[in-house]
Amino acid sequence: MNLPSDQPKAAAIPVLLVEDDAPTLWRLQDALAQSGYRVRAAGTLAEARACLAEAAPRVLLTDLQLPDGHGVDLIRETRQRFPDTEIMVISILGDEESVISAITVGATGYLLKDAFPTDIAATVRDLVAGHSPISASIARFIVRRTQNMPEPPPGPALNTARLTPREIDILWGIAKGFSYAEIAGHLGLSRQTVPGHIKSIYRKLEVHTRGEAVFEAVQQGLIRL
Amino acid sequence: MNEDGDAQPEPTGRERQRLLASRLLQYLLLQLLIAAACILALRQSLPEPPAQYLVTAFNLTEGGVARPVRLPYFSPLRYAMDDPPRFTSEFTHSSDDSRRAWSVFLPRFTNGVEVMVNDVVILDSRRDPAANRPDRNTPAIAVIPATVLRDGVNAISIRLFIWGPISGFLERIWVGPDELLRPSYNLRTLIFVTLPVVFSSWQAILAVILGIMWVMRRHEPAYGVLAAAMAVGVGQAFLQTPLGETPFSRLNVVLISSAPIESALVLTFALLLSGWKWRRYGLVIFVPGAVLALSGLFGSPALSRGLFLILALPTVGASLVIMAVVTAHSVLQRNNVASFLLGCAVTIMLTCWIVDLLSVFQMMSNRIFTARLSYSAMLVAIGAGLTWRFARALNQVDGFAGRLVAQVRETEEKLKASFVREEERARAAALARERTRLMRDLHDGLGGQLVSIVALSERGDAAAPIGEAARAALKDLRLVVDSMDDIGGDLMLALGSWRERAMAQLRPHGIALDWRAVTPQGLPVHPELRPWHVIQIVRLLDEALTNAVKHAGASRLTVRIETLASDDATERGSITVEDDGRGFEVPPEDGAAGTTTAARGLRNMRSRAARCGAELVLDSTPTGTRVRLTLPARFPDSDAAAG
Repeated sequence: MNLPSDQPKAAAIPVLLVEDDAPTLWRLQDALAQSGYRVRAAGTLAEARACLAEAAPRVLLTDLQLPDGHGVDLIRETRQRFPDTEIMVISILGDEESVISAITVGATGYLLKDAFPTDIAATVRDLVAGHSPISASIARFIVRRTQNMPEPPPGPALNTARLTPREIDILWGIAKGFSYAEIAGHLGLSRQTVPGHIKSIYRKLEVHTRGEAVFEAVQQGLIRL
Repeated sequence: MNEDGDAQPEPTGRERQRLLASRLLQYLLLQLLIAAACILALRQSLPEPPAQYLVTAFNLTEGGVARPVRLPYFSPLRYAMDDPPRFTSEFTHSSDDSRRAWSVFLPRFTNGVEVMVNDVVILDSRRDPAANRPDRNTPAIAVIPATVLRDGVNAISIRLFIWGPISGFLERIWVGPDELLRPSYNLRTLIFVTLPVVFSSWQAILAVILGIMWVMRRHEPAYGVLAAAMAVGVGQAFLQTPLGETPFSRLNVVLISSAPIESALVLTFALLLSGWKWRRYGLVIFVPGAVLALSGLFGSPALSRGLFLILALPTVGASLVIMAVVTAHSVLQRNNVASFLLGCAVTIMLTCWIVDLLSVFQMMSNRIFTARLSYSAMLVAIGAGLTWRFARALNQVDGFAGRLVAQVRETEEKLKASFVREEERARAAALARERTRLMRDLHDGLGGQLVSIVALSERGDAAAPIGEAARAALKDLRLVVDSMDDIGGDLMLALGSWRERAMAQLRPHGIALDWRAVTPQGLPVHPELRPWHVIQIVRLLDEALTNAVKHAGASRLTVRIETLASDDATERGSITVEDDGRGFEVPPEDGAAGTTTAARGLRNMRSRAARCGAELVLDSTPTGTRVRLTLPARFPDSDAAAG
């Protein structure tokens, strides 16, 4: 469907790919290169930092488990230094545990390592276009956290207090497998505004500063003063 | 009883009888001793003033006839109040004594006296209500006014008023210096006037205490009966009415009936205390008292006084005798301290009563009544004893409560420990169940796929679909991980993830996915939904998807999600997967012959649906295949098909 030749503009876009497993790295690199992206690859945290020191990428795709550190640190650093860079996690399972912790430091969604090449390219293209993808399982995890439970469910800490009821409704729709159009229809929105709402959700889930992190931890009862 | 007799040989029974007899003998001897001591004590005369002031020789004028008498004097019962017997005598007052006041002291008289010295009335006992009671041994003293007293010989005249129920009596009198007579008078007043008032006050307090006890413990009527006895006694002691004809004089007569009523109440109490159950015929013992009260209300005073002798005295005596017998029996049978003490008290009272009776019938030279006093003392002792028993019972309850608290705490600790153990056991069991399920799920999907990857790679065939198998394995791994998440019974949340995976699977094949949630909420929420249900349903849907992709050659797949309202107000979810492919021949449901991949897939779908209690309908025509899954109203608890 989405063949690389459809998107000639992608050529100008620099992507930093951080993945320690060489075959996976080649696979993703090939998929993106075929779509015309300018890909720089790094196998370790140190290499990735070296790349970041040279130039700011438009998109950062990173694995979380790296030989010399954790991808979350890289995401946080990148987010602070280059606020315009779109960041996405590369994950095997797309499990909430790792993805949510990446989201709280500034990542926008995840990319499965075994995704089809066309899907990989399409996801990055959407990301660059400002359409932040959110998977049903992540949406599910977030909305389950918005429900009042006697004790916080297991998993990474997540502050959903700033989400508006509309944003929570959108997340419910995604969690239940509805398309943007269906959600927009149900909620009486324009289909074009849904990606904007999702972008806003990502930003609200992000913990910006240490002070804010402490504040939110107190809000959620994780820390007692 | 019978068993007891059989089990215990004859000698033991005889021994027991001998033991009882010896105990009875001991008890009776003790009571005899007590009675003797009582009589001895009663024979002790009270201290008297100096004998030189004693006046005993009198002239008695009765019905116009005069004759000399010596005091003490018993006068027969007479009812004419207007012509009482008149005792006259004289005494000498020496001039040396002119500075000392002189008094007339009458230690004992029944029923009333009027004393005149030199024709001047100095004392009328009828104005003293306490003195009007024949059962009280009230003394009287009167100072002779100095103006009346003459040096030398003075005349003294005493009129004795007798109104029954007992005969008149006049004890020897003393006329002399007040300071010499007064101590004797004071002692008698203390013993016969003040002490009864003190006892009556105690009785009043105990009546209240016992009454409250009875109100709070209705199942112990002994307390109530004793409280009633005390209340009657208090009423008798404190309700005092003047002798003259007033509206209350009838009431005064009614008070006569207090003695038999009280004795009946105390008898009832003793019977109840000894374990006797109240019977209606027990009312018989209250009959004399009631008759006496009625005669006092409606008959003449003379009638009620006459009845008093033939009703009240025998009732009191009979009550005392019955009480003595009952307590003796109780002492023998139960051998408890309370019965023993009560028995001793009854013996004392009985002795006092017999002595009083002898006095009433003029068989004793004095007329000091002690039964009433001893009765009051006994009541006070009983009340105090009961209160003591009650306090002891409270202490026992406290001790019991303390032990109970300790036991409860101990049990609580044990229970807590066992609860913790039980909880751990349950957690371990749940963990084991979850592990079993996970193993089965991994075995069903991931395990098989990995094995097929191994097999494919060993063939060394470059065209072998290793990638496809590996991708399927990953997909299944994600499904298993996904199913662990708590979706709160909302299957739509699981279908949301499935839609993403389905789209990723369909996209390379150019098959469009048409996702239609017909009802707004999609599927009903099932709180009983468990992860293994979710896995079965999602795998079933995966099979349908795989069939459409691999075998049908479809270009469009439609997934319809809706909630069907059934007749019995339950809601059932329905998921329909429909493709526009070329269809296939649906093998029969029990088809064991199915060997093709498609047939095996269909068989799997059927078994998965059955395990979840869902209905599966397969329709395949040359223009498309439809898989319709109708979810149960309630998912089954156990995975029966998995064994």
